[in-house]
Amino acid sequence: MFLFNCRPLMSCMTDVTKSTYLSSSKHNGIVKSSQYFTKVKYQNGAICNGHLKPWKKNLYSNEGYPDNYTDKSFLEELRKNLHVRKLTLLEAILGASLITQRLCIVVIFALSFYALNCNLISPLLLLMSTTSFSFIIYLLLYENSKAFPLWLMKSAFAFVISGYILSPVLKTLTETISTDTIYATTTVMMCVHLVFFDYGVSAVIVSTSLSLNAALFGSICLCSRLQTAFHVFVFITIAVQCFAVSPILLSSIKSSITILLSFVTVTFILCIRVSSLMSGLFLLTVLFINLMCPYYFVKWHSFKDNIYGPWDEAIVQDIKIKDFHVD
Amino acid sequence: MSVHFKMKHKICMASDFFYPNMGGVEEHIFNLSQCLLMKGYKVIVLTHSYQDRVGVRYMTNGLKVYYLPIKPFYNQCVLPSMVSSLPLIRYVLVREQITIIHGHSAFSTLAHETMMIGRLLGIQTVFTDHSLFGFADTSAIITNKFLEMSLADCNHCICVSHIGKENTVLRARVNHHRVSVIPNAVDTTAFVPKLELRTKNKITIVVVSRLVYRKGVDLLAQIIADVCLKNQKVQFIIGGDGPKRELLEDTRNNLNIGEQVTLLGSLEHSQVCNVLNRGHIFLNTSLTEAYCMAIVEAASCGLKIVSTRVGGIPEVLPPELIILTEPNVPSILQGLYKAINQVNSELGVPPIECHRKVQSLYNWMNIAKRTEIVYNMVSLEPPKSLGKQLRSYIPTGVYPFLLVVSFMHILLRLLDWWIPRSDIDLAKDYKIEDSQVNSNSSVLENQ
Repeated sequence: MFLFNCRPLMSCMTDVTKSTYLSSSKHNGIVKSSQYFTKVKYQNGAICNGHLKPWKKNLYSNEGYPDNYTDKSFLEELRKNLHVRKLTLLEAILGASLITQRLCIVVIFALSFYALNCNLISPLLLLMSTTSFSFIIYLLLYENSKAFPLWLMKSAFAFVISGYILSPVLKTLTETISTDTIYATTTVMMCVHLVFFDYGVSAVIVSTSLSLNAALFGSICLCSRLQTAFHVFVFITIAVQCFAVSPILLSSIKSSITILLSFVTVTFILCIRVSSLMSGLFLLTVLFINLMCPYYFVKWHSFKDNIYGPWDEAIVQDIKIKDFHVD
Repeated sequence: MSVHFKMKHKICMASDFFYPNMGGVEEHIFNLSQCLLMKGYKVIVLTHSYQDRVGVRYMTNGLKVYYLPIKPFYNQCVLPSMVSSLPLIRYVLVREQITIIHGHSAFSTLAHETMMIGRLLGIQTVFTDHSLFGFADTSAIITNKFLEMSLADCNHCICVSHIGKENTVLRARVNHHRVSVIPNAVDTTAFVPKLELRTKNKITIVVVSRLVYRKGVDLLAQIIADVCLKNQKVQFIIGGDGPKRELLEDTRNNLNIGEQVTLLGSLEHSQVCNVLNRGHIFLNTSLTEAYCMAIVEAASCGLKIVSTRVGGIPEVLPPELIILTEPNVPSILQGLYKAINQVNSELGVPPIECHRKVQSLYNWMNIAKRTEIVYNMVSLEPPKSLGKQLRSYIPTGVYPFLLVVSFMHILLRLLDWWIPRSDIDLAKDYKIEDSQVNSNSSVLENQ
């Protein structure tokens, strides 16, 4: 039923007549089967082969050795854990402190919403205190720069005006949505913010824009629960400081234990005035993130078992083709 | 114990990769099958359908090929459902009275599936691994786990180079006793030097490979740019196609070296020899390679070989036939200029000598003999009970897989009741007496 036409294959393969296949070969990389079976048994130690040439790692010169012979040089070129950087516990804790910092900022942000919503503090006072705080930190970090940059003033001014004008709109934007939904959305968005935030590690998951947008979306959701448009304006200003300005400011501070402790203490003091349960949970989370995780990270380093060898794909170093014109 | 009687194996080569596809694996299966047929064994090939190519077909010397009606799912492989094609594969194995299943290529899901079903039917299995794999990325980790599961109960593995053996032993956790190294060979009668085809006043560098990242096309582009701009007397002929072809075309057009670079596109295997013979030097820039048939074919045509020192390549040819370089541009350039100088001053091994040397090193009949030893060995292994078989999967740590295997076993028992073995027609063996005389007749039997 099927006619098999294998012309292209035939032209190269079929003219291989029997004589070709049978053409005597000098190389006899095999032993007769009877010999072979006995040899396989004892090959673990070197075969008693006083007359055999030493085994070489190639495919053509190992006459007399069985095909499943394993030489002493087997896996000689295997390398393990070539590019692993071993961290000390302190380094791991400091690395984790970046996450704690972010967590503290999110908690402080949530607390400011609570304070505004329950009228624990006047919005004007809150606005003044946070803004001046950011301003002082800015001055401390960038005191070397000659003059206060004009573009920064401009953009800050633009933000204040547009924020002030738009705050009534933001207030009514999500008003019809139920409070539970708002809180749930905000919680999820803050988690997204924490997960995708750029902590300085080049991972696939990192996305600065997603993290910032999620945080701002969460804060805009919350806006509608506040009482007046001015409250909303203050709240949005805090949100921008927390999520847009603070990463830039904090990135220039080297993480240290002092900074970590001060962040945690401030957050904890603010938190305990609102709810002792929540502050307890906060402390537990910080302990988990900042002590337990780094501890196990360092401890489990000994399980790291990356294998490298000649079978790995070579890496192409990119040289621009243009460069060749020069030399 | 001596084995003097000749065992009559009935071998089933199982792989997703077979003609009309072309490549190292396909060639290996075809040539090995041909030699085994000549040695008087029965060989069939099991592969999936290629477009309208479905059913049973016969190739040279009555090599029976089953193109199973399974559609490829990803990368030319079938979906390894383990269950849906089980009745069909069982039917074929019973019908052909197979005693040894020889799976090819770690990527081929059909090979693994057939071997698994074969094991449950009490057939011995041999597996040839044609590729190297890293350990770093997720896809490698997953593939390695699957391979480990598949090879946990395989009788014997064959690798095409010593590096391949190290790699297989590591990634599939197979005992090194169960792994043999049997290289590929090259049909040296097809690849003979034809010096009259070479260009007289120019030095031609030939590259034949798929144009993909793994073959180092990025390196090649940089090398072409450098060599062509410095030497007007050098030209490149590039055979093969692939996603990186654009890169080479861009290089050629941007640097205005169209006269020195010829892109031939994909080649039929029969054309390769003539393309090789147009050149003086063969360049291989692969980033990873288990064996590399291309350099052996080129050496058989008497070309000077310049190749990157990756994977199994250093094991393939003796040092006088090959110039090995590191896989970076400066090193390859150095090797290439050395080869050009050798051609100019007629140093090094002359082409005919080169051909003879390769002929003495590689030969399919020798490969078949060595594979035969493996077959003889596995056929002496005692059959395993289901319990023992299941136990051998435990070290892989993938316990749900035991359920899959058990389910396959139950299905096979069910099929034994539904379509009993006695109801399956046994296929008549093809007689290969007149093949010596009539080796060209490809159409031998109508089904």
